Amino acid sequence: MREFGYQRVFDVPGAVALLGTDPEARFLGGGTNLVDLMKAGVERPALLVDVTELPLGRIEATADGGLRIGATVTNSDLAADPQVRRHYPALAQAVLAGASGQLRNMATIGGNLLQRTRCGYFADLTKPCNKRVPGSGCPAIEGEHHNHAILGASEHCVAVHPSDMGVALTAFDAVVSYETADGPGELPLAEFYLPVGDTPHLETALPSGALITGITLPPNPVAAVSRYRKVRERASYAFAIGSIAAALDVRDGLVREVRLAFGAVASRPWRAREAERLLTGGPASAEAFAAAADAELAAAETLPHNAYKVTLMRNLVVAVLTELTEEATR
Amino acid sequence: MRLTFTVNGRQQEADDVWEGESLLYVLRERMGLPGSKNACEQGECGSCTVRLDGVPVCACLVAAGQVQDREVVTVEGLADYARQRAEGGCGTGACGTSLDDAKRWQSKPADGRTGEAGAFPQQLSAIQRAFIDAGAVQCGFCTPGLLVAADELLERNASPSDEDIREALSGNLCRCTGYEKILDAVRLAAARTEEAV
Amino acid sequence: MGATRIPGNITQGSTAKGGIGESTLRPDGTLKVTGEFAYSSDMWHEDMLWGFTLRSPHAHAEIKSIDTSEALAQAGVYAVLTYDDLPTDVKNYGLEIQDTPVLAHGRVRHHGEPVALVAADHPETARRAAAKIKVEYVQLPVVHDEQTALAEDAPLLHPGRDDHHAGHVPHPNVVHRQPIHRGDVAAARARADVIVSGEYVVGMQDQAFLGPESGLAVPAEDGGVDLYIATQWLHSDLRQIAPVLGLPPEKVRMTLSGVGGAFGGREDLSMQIHACLLALRTGKPVKIVYNRFESFFGHVHRHPAKLWYEHGATKDGKLTHMRCRIVLDGGAYASASPAVVGNASSLSVGPYVIDDVEIEAVALYTNNPPCGAMRGFGAVQACFAYEAQMDKLAAELGMDPVEFRRLNAMSQGTLLPTGQVVDSPAPVAELLRRIKAMPLPPERQWETAGESADVRALPGGLSNTTHGEGVVRGVGYAVGIKNVGFSEGFDDYSTARVRLEVVGGEPVAVVHTAMAEVGQGGVTVHAQIARTELGVTQVTIHPADTQVGSAGSTSASRQTYVTGGAVKNTCEAVREKVLELGRARFGSYHPAWATAELLLESGKVVTDGGEVLADLVEVLEGEAIDLELEWRHRPTEAFDLHTGQGNGHVQYSFAAHRAVVEVDTELGLVKVVELACAQDVGRALNPLSVVGQIQGGTTQGLGLAVMEEIVVSKEAKVRNPSFTDYLIPTILDTPTIPVDVLELADEHAPYGLRGIGEAPTLSSTPAVVSAIRAATGLALNRVPVRPEHLTGT
Repeated sequence: MREFGYQRVFDVPGAVALLGTDPEARFLGGGTNLVDLMKAGVERPALLVDVTELPLGRIEATADGGLRIGATVTNSDLAADPQVRRHYPALAQAVLAGASGQLRNMATIGGNLLQRTRCGYFADLTKPCNKRVPGSGCPAIEGEHHNHAILGASEHCVAVHPSDMGVALTAFDAVVSYETADGPGELPLAEFYLPVGDTPHLETALPSGALITGITLPPNPVAAVSRYRKVRERASYAFAIGSIAAALDVRDGLVREVRLAFGAVASRPWRAREAERLLTGGPASAEAFAAAADAELAAAETLPHNAYKVTLMRNLVVAVLTELTEEATR
Repeated sequence: MRLTFTVNGRQQEADDVWEGESLLYVLRERMGLPGSKNACEQGECGSCTVRLDGVPVCACLVAAGQVQDREVVTVEGLADYARQRAEGGCGTGACGTSLDDAKRWQSKPADGRTGEAGAFPQQLSAIQRAFIDAGAVQCGFCTPGLLVAADELLERNASPSDEDIREALSGNLCRCTGYEKILDAVRLAAARTEEAV
Repeated sequence: MGATRIPGNITQGSTAKGGIGESTLRPDGTLKVTGEFAYSSDMWHEDMLWGFTLRSPHAHAEIKSIDTSEALAQAGVYAVLTYDDLPTDVKNYGLEIQDTPVLAHGRVRHHGEPVALVAADHPETARRAAAKIKVEYVQLPVVHDEQTALAEDAPLLHPGRDDHHAGHVPHPNVVHRQPIHRGDVAAARARADVIVSGEYVVGMQDQAFLGPESGLAVPAEDGGVDLYIATQWLHSDLRQIAPVLGLPPEKVRMTLSGVGGAFGGREDLSMQIHACLLALRTGKPVKIVYNRFESFFGHVHRHPAKLWYEHGATKDGKLTHMRCRIVLDGGAYASASPAVVGNASSLSVGPYVIDDVEIEAVALYTNNPPCGAMRGFGAVQACFAYEAQMDKLAAELGMDPVEFRRLNAMSQGTLLPTGQVVDSPAPVAELLRRIKAMPLPPERQWETAGESADVRALPGGLSNTTHGEGVVRGVGYAVGIKNVGFSEGFDDYSTARVRLEVVGGEPVAVVHTAMAEVGQGGVTVHAQIARTELGVTQVTIHPADTQVGSAGSTSASRQTYVTGGAVKNTCEAVREKVLELGRARFGSYHPAWATAELLLESGKVVTDGGEVLADLVEVLEGEAIDLELEWRHRPTEAFDLHTGQGNGHVQYSFAAHRAVVEVDTELGLVKVVELACAQDVGRALNPLSVVGQIQGGTTQGLGLAVMEEIVVSKEAKVRNPSFTDYLIPTILDTPTIPVDVLELADEHAPYGLRGIGEAPTLSSTPAVVSAIRAATGLALNRVPVRPEHLTGT
């Protein structure tokens, strides 16, 4: 770990201003990912600006019936919030499916959005990695990739985004708000994460020096009947090898509205828009769910050791949508 | 940097702390409190679980600066913490330690020359006693973190179901016991505490 | 000597109790629950420095040059050492073959091999300095499997090797080969009505003990060094350390500090010599603590294996013959590979009667991480394969798999393939009967629970993954055989020193051995033995160190047998001395001193009729009796290098498991609902500890079955050296583990006991996989079984 400074900040303008003083400064939330990566030498900030004391720790209903979640709300508090559990149950489930209680108690919402990939090559300084050292190469494509991307990857990077929370937020059209020296701004989550292309090191569209101040969930009645399901190699405390956030509104056997997002299949939470399009207005049947999943996954490009994810995701889609259908028609 | 925070009810200071040190390192190497364990140092095993302002966290992923002016309870302070809670003190860390208590608090000898089991049974918390009695301790390296996590569970939920126990302890790895006797210990502590009330 | 934190005595006072056969609580329990127990990573000394190891990023490379100047120039750095700084001509070490360099010389043979050492005033300073050491490598082609290792032009891991196995191996990249031939396989094969064969693969498992390799070396005024360390065998370490340091053994004083688990992974040296070298060079105490990443490179792992088996059976279910070939990947250095080969071959037939066998086991040298001891030691890999074969045979014959096993189960008197007679109880059929008779857990519990169904009990656990649809139950059985103690002619002994004296008006026994307490509860058992044999309540356990004779290794399920036997033996001798004293002092007052069988009970000398003759306090009268004695189990013999014949083993340990799993076949998720175990323990000296050992061993077997594997790339690089990526079972993955303990005494062993630690790790893995096969119909010839193996792609 290199030498670095540490400073705690108490107001948003002060935080943004302080970060601006050093191009190698980074904001520090709970630290559960950043501190770990600093130990590994992957992240090498010169200054840590601790934002956890900023007045961004609240979850509030918005005037239009949505929710605004402050950036420093911990994962534990988000998962326990009654409004979240009632109106966006998949979000609470997603957060609870991540990490362990101890880590959720520290980890913040803002930090969760900015989590780095868990690709082993990214954390291994002795190996090339285009995300860590642009242009150095991607050994995962020929190497260990059984938990790597099947959608939206490129020849430059096949890593997946590790967040569970982000998958649920993607399904619910969350909007990220931020503050810069030039004033506030907003980014829908769909535009927040950048496509991989040939710049896997550029992960988000956040302007340089921006501080995430919160997340807004628009009112979303369909989200009240929603689920997050995660498949992983042990029962807790492990990253997904495939996950899904889904919400469904079914009337008279027909899908009125559906939200579908996949985790652990791409460099970002993957909104399954093609599947949503096919399902909307059609029958709520296992066959239709499978057909929609197949359509979404038609674009999948698999590697020798991650092809299983296609079947896995298809089965997940069918299982979760079938269950939501039963719940909606009960 | 100079670091000032409260550990097990007592204000502690450390000078010349390097920013890159973790709370775990500061506790173990600077404060003579090696009870919190260094099994993975990457937040993946729970052996270093401590209460930070009442909340269980992995001390290995807390940067030293993050604990400035905050309250930490480690396994070394667990018995006192539980006793204060039982005596109607708040025990959650939120209401702090009285000045008198802080003055009385003493660091235990770090090398523990005698292992006199049962010599000071009243000084152990219910969960510590139960871990010994149920055979939940083998090598013991996971024990401090599990004790802090299990004590916090019992604080929230005096009679947890098996699934509650499993969920609450799912962030703590143990390699020796197969967990069965750890479940026994938490059940035992809960039952004894209920009996005592 | 300045302020320190080092291990101390452990005393249980007059409130403690518990003799042989009682569930006695650990004497170190209080220290362990208060955080005061001094583990090796907790050692501390005023003015101590921190050591750090620079490791090879390559699996196989030539070292062209090492430049340490920049590292040495860094403020706070006290020493940087490379191969050239080693003080004597002894520059290698090893358990059986001294092929492991203390620091790499001209060549690195595996990813993570130690290349240089740094001592500095802060661990981070040491790490940064290490990063400034410039090593020029030229990469070499790697040898990573049998094909590449045994190719004609294969690079040789140890060219010119002259160890005691070098002469009989078929290729220099074979560490050791052990064939076993018995009977007439061709004739027996001709009698078979069914023949099944299969190829099985066992992945590389890690011990994953939680306490990382660590310790403190303190230079002494006499030029020697005091080393506080977590290990499995102090004297074996000492034998390897002292020659490298150029010190006589008595100047390397080792004390066992708290050990955070071992499971075989501490049988080899890790940072012991490194810390001593740095301490002697700097003249300051040096502490080294590995982090988890380093720990994955700092110890050997369980040998990954490829096993080919063929069995035949007659229509009525009798096994006719067995042929097998077991290939173990030993990695870059020998470690315990030869002994693992001996176990794998001699136990490859399992706990079954098969008269006609052809067996071959080999361990390879490759550029993969070195592999050596791990709980089960060669028997684990074989058990996975032969138990899969038993299921296949039963299915082929249309027989119940448990009945088929019972029909072929060995028993006392059975001849092993090595020609050795099993001369103590071997209740294999009874264990199988018991495990099958245990009530099954209710099916689909989440349905009967209705609205209150707890999804956390379903496959996927907390992830809310499965809600019962597509969940199929499977039940599987397995049984295994493990040897106890060191085999193949090894002089396996232990030493115990026992001192009996009066302290504060009470008789106190001090038990001093070099046994490594790694969590197994040996210290509890020693106190129990002393209480039972000497009739005292107060027992003090002296820290294990090298001031007393060797205790042998805490491995091979042997410590309760061998060091327990040594403590019993010394206690008996101390008791004789007490009685001699008593006879001299009081013999004339009561004829029973001369005529009756005398015992020590509750601090008194009593006759076998219960009459009290004297208080121990009076008999001792201020005198201390202090004896140190060695104790051995029955000798064994080496296996013949060509036929494999020989009385190689001392004792056997048997366990059987029944696994009940629920599998979500669509998502590839396995929930082990219950993993029941029946085991013969001979005699349970401490029933609470016995059950704890069985449950712990069972869980490690579960881990190998469904999640644990060190992934090594074709370039022989470790891909998952962290607890993020190397998964061990959490409390949510681990089922209820009911244990049925059978106690059939082995008349050859102290108290009739049987070593128990490893047997449950054997049969757990194949039972779980058998249950998953039953649920899914898949062949599953490889462990760990991963979700992608179950979803059909």
